[in-house]
Amino acid sequence: MTAVALSRPARVLRIEIRRSVVLWSVPLLAALFFFDSFRTVSGFAPVWTVRSSVLTTNMIEDFGPFAAGLAAWVASREGRRKTGDLLAATSRPAWARQLCALGATLFWLLATYLACVAAVYIDTALQATWGGPPLWPIAVGVVEVVTFAVIGFTVGALFPGRFTAPLAAIGGFLLAFIGYHAALGVQPGMSTYALLSPSTAVPLGDAGVFYHVAPDLAIAQVMFMGGITVGLLGLLTLAPVFRVSYRGLLAGISRAGRWLCVAGVALLAAGVAAAATAFALAGTAKPGVSGWDIPALHDAASDQPVPYTPDCAGIALPVCVQPAFSAFLPAAAAALQPAAAELKGLPGAPVRAELVSDGNGTRNTQGMLFAGMPKPGVSGAPPVYNFNSDNGMAPLWGSPAGTDNAGWRAGFQQVFLSAFVAGPPQAGADILTPAQQAVVTALMTAIGSPAPQFDEAFTGNGQVVGGATQAQIAAAAQRFGSLSPAARHAWLAAHLTALRAGTLTLNQLP
Amino acid sequence: MNIELSDITRRFGRNVAVDGVTLDVGTGVLGLLGPNGAGKTSLLRMLATILPPSSGHLTLLGRDPRKPADRREIRRRLGYLPQNLGYYPSFTVVEFVEYFALLKEMPPHLVPKAVAAAIEKVDLGPKARAKLRTLSGGMLRRVGIAQAIVNEPELLLFDEPTAGLDPEQRVAFRALIRDLGQTATVIVSTHLVEDVGAACSEVALMSNGKVVFRGTPEELTARGEAGQGVGDAPLERGYSAILAAARSAS
Repeated sequence: MTAVALSRPARVLRIEIRRSVVLWSVPLLAALFFFDSFRTVSGFAPVWTVRSSVLTTNMIEDFGPFAAGLAAWVASREGRRKTGDLLAATSRPAWARQLCALGATLFWLLATYLACVAAVYIDTALQATWGGPPLWPIAVGVVEVVTFAVIGFTVGALFPGRFTAPLAAIGGFLLAFIGYHAALGVQPGMSTYALLSPSTAVPLGDAGVFYHVAPDLAIAQVMFMGGITVGLLGLLTLAPVFRVSYRGLLAGISRAGRWLCVAGVALLAAGVAAAATAFALAGTAKPGVSGWDIPALHDAASDQPVPYTPDCAGIALPVCVQPAFSAFLPAAAAALQPAAAELKGLPGAPVRAELVSDGNGTRNTQGMLFAGMPKPGVSGAPPVYNFNSDNGMAPLWGSPAGTDNAGWRAGFQQVFLSAFVAGPPQAGADILTPAQQAVVTALMTAIGSPAPQFDEAFTGNGQVVGGATQAQIAAAAQRFGSLSPAARHAWLAAHLTALRAGTLTLNQLP
Repeated sequence: MNIELSDITRRFGRNVAVDGVTLDVGTGVLGLLGPNGAGKTSLLRMLATILPPSSGHLTLLGRDPRKPADRREIRRRLGYLPQNLGYYPSFTVVEFVEYFALLKEMPPHLVPKAVAAAIEKVDLGPKARAKLRTLSGGMLRRVGIAQAIVNEPELLLFDEPTAGLDPEQRVAFRALIRDLGQTATVIVSTHLVEDVGAACSEVALMSNGKVVFRGTPEELTARGEAGQGVGDAPLERGYSAILAAARSAS
């Protein structure tokens, strides 16, 4: 397109874009993104829904205050640079002129934001083994950046001054901070209006993997922030009326133009209506299978589990995972094989290990616990060891092929052996008895792993719940571990029921 | 008549800046003289449709600036250089002038040529691509003049246009406004009576918000010779004589 072919607004916009002060802030925003958002997200599970959560959390905390401050700086320039009279004598309406300045500000802000989104998504695409990039977080993030910018722009236009921009930036930071903490505190049965803040906790490691993430909340958030944006644009349109309203409202309307006033009032009303509707909708949110559902927006068909064919590995114990976690399958299978070999032939020994949903529909995608997360455990017939991503593989997220995973490997084996020794998961049976701890310790030592810690079982004075000290457990474990593999196996086969029932004491171990 | 003022008054609180001015101005260059606080800038701001009058009736280019549609049309055909020129330091000369050409809603296809012509008229061609922050005060004044004339306005309002210009540029500016006055109504508010003598076909002198003299520069000179004016030049003597008479009358 040639310069001549461009329309008037497009050419004003081109000048504004070329000379926008936001351009100078792009390197700073990029650095903030790299050191905060990008490095944070690199430690998340390479699952699209999980990684994309950074678009509306860290990235907004990085971009929001800058968007508000820079937009306020741009909007207040007519006051700071004393171009008011010069511009007031031009025929193009003030709102059109301001829209171009705002457009240029948004151009650079959104270009930078979307470039950062691309970096996150490209990095995720290189690591993810299942699924595709979700678009709702991008929509929410874009609208949020726009909202921050429009808030700052409105403040700058209405109260021009050299301190307006820093105050707008601080205000933007506080807004994001308060919204984040309010959203963190939302629990079922409580007020859910704070869910309108997209900035909240990191979702569970398998968010969006076993169940689709319903867009209900994203729709409400976009509607709420979009409403605020449209309402503020209406307010900006009406600003000339307020400036001359000292002569009476009618004089103000007459001076600004009737149609401009009608448009401003319509925008303001539409914005308020959209924001109020979204606010009301957020108040009806309820926990669903994959997060918060808003009944008026919810599509029940999306509640069905996502079908998939698991990826499996391992000979002694086939270990199967959802394809999203295929990158971690070799490590998980290798860790469980020696432990499974120790249990082979015992009654109730698992024939397969399977990755299951973190919450099985009881936790939302924001990572908040609703109704008790199911413990990993051995259950079913034939027995299957169920484990989940958060307490199974989370330490691996940052380095699926890393070599420094000995700690994770031991922990993973401990959880597996503890689940077998404790038996099928049941309420109130979270803590192993001293005898169970000693058996797990002995089995861990037998497969060449370090002796486990059962920190959760200790009271403040070093006494084990159940009446045994750590030293007594270690002595019993050493005694049991010194048996030959065959003898250990035979004893376990004979006493597994009593061991699981918690009726055996340390002294009853051979 | 391009400007018709009928008993125009502008108040700022209790202060009356412009007090019942009635004035008709056609094509040509009108010099607006007066001491500080006489109401010249307030009158120019009303003529530029920035400031609505507190009372009285104003017609510009045959239109009523109280009506939004008329006001917009007047502004399309208006050029205005305020006393204190605000500018955006990061803009280049071309961008600044183009920006105002577009805000004055010139047809986009005419803008590049008009911008180049306006910049040439103020002799800033070699600095066309320079950022405004790099220009001297006099050059910035010329940029201000360029943005005012870029749309070939029918009504041109200059508030202290030659402030900061060197003598050579001042002479060039006088020639420019004489040329512009052939087809447009040009009002030049100034303290410099030599500008008026050299460039204006008519003079209006304001004092305490009122127009106390209206005539040609020659008539102003004659008043100085007849009265008790003080000053080095004939126009200055006329200026001071009229002001002294106005003050004694009030």
